[in-house]
Amino acid sequence: MVSINKNIMRTVLLASYILLIALIVSALSGIFSYLNTGADRSKMLHTEIAKVEQYLPKMTWESLSNEGRPMDKENLNALQNDYLDAWYVKQIAYKTNKTAGIKDYYTEHARENLFEYIELNKKQNITIEATTLKHNPKLEFFSEDGQLAVLTDNNVKEYKRVFKNDSLVYETTEISTYKVVFLLEDGFWRIRHMVKEDEKDNTDIPQTSPLNNFKIKGINYYPQATPWKMFGDDFSADTINKDFKIIKNAGLNSIRIFIQYEDFGKADIDNNKISKLLTTLDIAEANNLKVVLTLFDFYGNYTVMDWTLNQRHAEKIVLAVKNHKALLAYDIKNEPNLDFESRGKDNVIAWLENMIVLVKSIDEKHPITIGWSNTESATILKDKVDFISFHYYEDLEVLNDEIKHLKNLIPNKPIVMQEFGLSSYRGLWKPFGSTEEDQANYHKKIQEIITNQNLQFMSWTLYDFVEIPKEVVGRLPWKKRVQGNFGFINQNGETKPAFKYINTIE
Amino acid sequence: MNFKSIYILLLSIWLASPLVFAQKNTSVKLLTTKTEFTVGSHIVLKFKNVNNNTPLLYCSNSYGTTLVSGTINNLNLEYTLPENIAKKIGVINWKILDKNYPTSGKLYIKPKAEVATMETYIGPPSIEAGGTDYSMLVVIPTDSLDNPVPTNTPVKVKNQFLNSEEVDNVFTKNLIAFKNIYSKKQDGRILVSSEALGTNSKEFTINAMPAVPTRFKISYSSPHNYADGNQITNFTTSVIKDRFNNVVSDGTYVDFFIKNAEGNILKTSGLTLNGVANSKIIHPDHADNWSVKAYINGMAESNIITLNYKQVVKDFNVAFTNKNRTISVGPLQSFMNQMIPDGLHVKLYIYSNNQLVKILTKTTFNGYVYFNLKPAIYKNNNYNFKIETAGITKQFNKKLW
Repeated sequence: MVSINKNIMRTVLLASYILLIALIVSALSGIFSYLNTGADRSKMLHTEIAKVEQYLPKMTWESLSNEGRPMDKENLNALQNDYLDAWYVKQIAYKTNKTAGIKDYYTEHARENLFEYIELNKKQNITIEATTLKHNPKLEFFSEDGQLAVLTDNNVKEYKRVFKNDSLVYETTEISTYKVVFLLEDGFWRIRHMVKEDEKDNTDIPQTSPLNNFKIKGINYYPQATPWKMFGDDFSADTINKDFKIIKNAGLNSIRIFIQYEDFGKADIDNNKISKLLTTLDIAEANNLKVVLTLFDFYGNYTVMDWTLNQRHAEKIVLAVKNHKALLAYDIKNEPNLDFESRGKDNVIAWLENMIVLVKSIDEKHPITIGWSNTESATILKDKVDFISFHYYEDLEVLNDEIKHLKNLIPNKPIVMQEFGLSSYRGLWKPFGSTEEDQANYHKKIQEIITNQNLQFMSWTLYDFVEIPKEVVGRLPWKKRVQGNFGFINQNGETKPAFKYINTIE
Repeated sequence: MNFKSIYILLLSIWLASPLVFAQKNTSVKLLTTKTEFTVGSHIVLKFKNVNNNTPLLYCSNSYGTTLVSGTINNLNLEYTLPENIAKKIGVINWKILDKNYPTSGKLYIKPKAEVATMETYIGPPSIEAGGTDYSMLVVIPTDSLDNPVPTNTPVKVKNQFLNSEEVDNVFTKNLIAFKNIYSKKQDGRILVSSEALGTNSKEFTINAMPAVPTRFKISYSSPHNYADGNQITNFTTSVIKDRFNNVVSDGTYVDFFIKNAEGNILKTSGLTLNGVANSKIIHPDHADNWSVKAYINGMAESNIITLNYKQVVKDFNVAFTNKNRTISVGPLQSFMNQMIPDGLHVKLYIYSNNQLVKILTKTTFNGYVYFNLKPAIYKNNNYNFKIETAGITKQFNKKLW
């Protein structure tokens, strides 16, 4: 018995030793392998960060006449990038009340100021959505060793929305002047001191630019083969020229075309698209047609953080077309009221208002409008636009009253019925739809109302389309088919009965 | 109603309307008349409040934006600005968030006239002596709340170099103060510090390094001038100085370029110590003429010196033995007929049918070199042999068997 017990004892002890040693070895090997995995070498220099433009407010540098070392382009560019990134991380931090990213762009002492704010706002559930739309920096000082810089950022245009307990309590646009001290640390230009030196109210009141007696008698235009992607690979100047001749011969004087936000490259505009746009305008000019340019088609994100990118997009397009003789007006956005529910009404309106200010700041000559989808919304921003546009696909019986009502509300601005029409689709997906006769009657009737009310108009649209992109009405075939049959000319290129009423009968 | 009564009604409405407005505006009335505060003070905005409601106060300063809740105290509406806003200089803009009584204003938070820390940056840390190069001292004096001090605060910039001690007054502008510190003719260390409102920075050092070197001379020394391939010739520069007579920094790199009689370039180099660079090179193994010039790359050069090396090995014997497969070269004798020191190169070129088959290189040992040609490699045949050493060549035609 004794010897068996002893053997059991020995076995247990031996097993426990082996287990213990195995554990120690595995722990040591764990530590050893941990110590052998160093930082990834490629990440040491921050070179792996792919630069995506997130924040592009308008930067207008005053000419360089700083004290200290003369500034060069490369350093100034690095300074500007990091300065804007500093603004960007600050905006994100105050929007989310989180501190991510701040330490890269503010020095150890300066970041405390932001952390205190975040703590304060977090406690009271205050969040701030803000962006800066314009900066006018002047470099004041650049140190001899290139490690310290001071700039004065004059008249920074800051737009802010202040939320308490997730509800908007205040919206403001401020013009402030800041003095900023930067230190170059770890390859980042970090903010050391920031002092707001002045603050004044926003005085950007855009000028009005009236339509100047031009009476719009027009049509919404897409080429038959490429609706909603007019400036794609299948762009054909010949087709457009042919179509513009049809429109001109029908006695119309203007067209409405669309610039798709993403298709044109968002903030980084594709020059190829611009040249196609200019070609289109040239053809319009040659055919004596005026063009209403609708911006931001298929754009639906109005968040404040997106504004600077949107504005750079609009800026480049407006700069490209503003001196073109064929240009009649800018339509800032097609049917923005449809986004009220999903994106917040005040958000969308604030976006539109600021976009009007921006477009007017670049082109003060051409009038601006917004293509509201109904008459109720048409009064929004009525004082900011130069003429009122609304779309009408409702019952013609009440159109007269609607227009009268609208004219009462807005007596002093021209009113354009910018989209209207009737689909002549009757078939499998909609057996009781309107016929081509119905469509002709519709246009006859609406032209009478237009004449009586002395309205300006742009009908929808020249052609019946075969392919409707899903972004327009979704994927459902009964919607697509209907959408495809609003034209005055059918898919075979023959004019439909409604073509007779494409223009006002004199 | 007749026309007159309508007119009177309209007129009275028109007259009354500004009264209504005026009354509205006075509902929340700012009682705090002070708009300038010293940074760090306890700031309370007081309003006369009729309605007894407490709207939020929006306020924004240099670093951010927040909302402040009001309290009612003795029928007054009071807003205490958070500490983190009151302790930063600059403009605070505020607004009462009440649509009916919008009241807004600005507060100016002024810096304190005190300096708690002298944040000092100096650069570049080393500059060139001579009085044209300079380093820049940048000071950001800050108060105890980490705010920059007011514009035009005097900052004393002090520096010491050799026997001179200087104090300059500069003034803060754009939140900083700066001063360029120029080097003097001599090299050495410049000690710099600064002071503002009684607070001193720590000590900083600028190294004034000697300027670019100027022309210098070189010389050589060697045990003898025989081309024995064994002794060493030593090149030395004069003391290299800049144009202000400062000895160049230790470690200045000097290249000696040697051009031999055939036009080939040999190179040796050295680093200066106390302005003098040394460099060594082994003697050639055959008579040669060297011309030597030294350069400090891109900055300075020396004069040219010439060296003549005399031939030591006048002639040598070659003996073929062991079916001509053992070739002994020697004795190789030096200038006093002593055996040449071990290590002289001897080259054997082997040709078969005028084709170079092999070059064998050996070094002398006790004045002799032996080549053994193995039958496995060198078949029985006629061969031409060329033996080359110390610049002398001898040729033979032998049959291996």
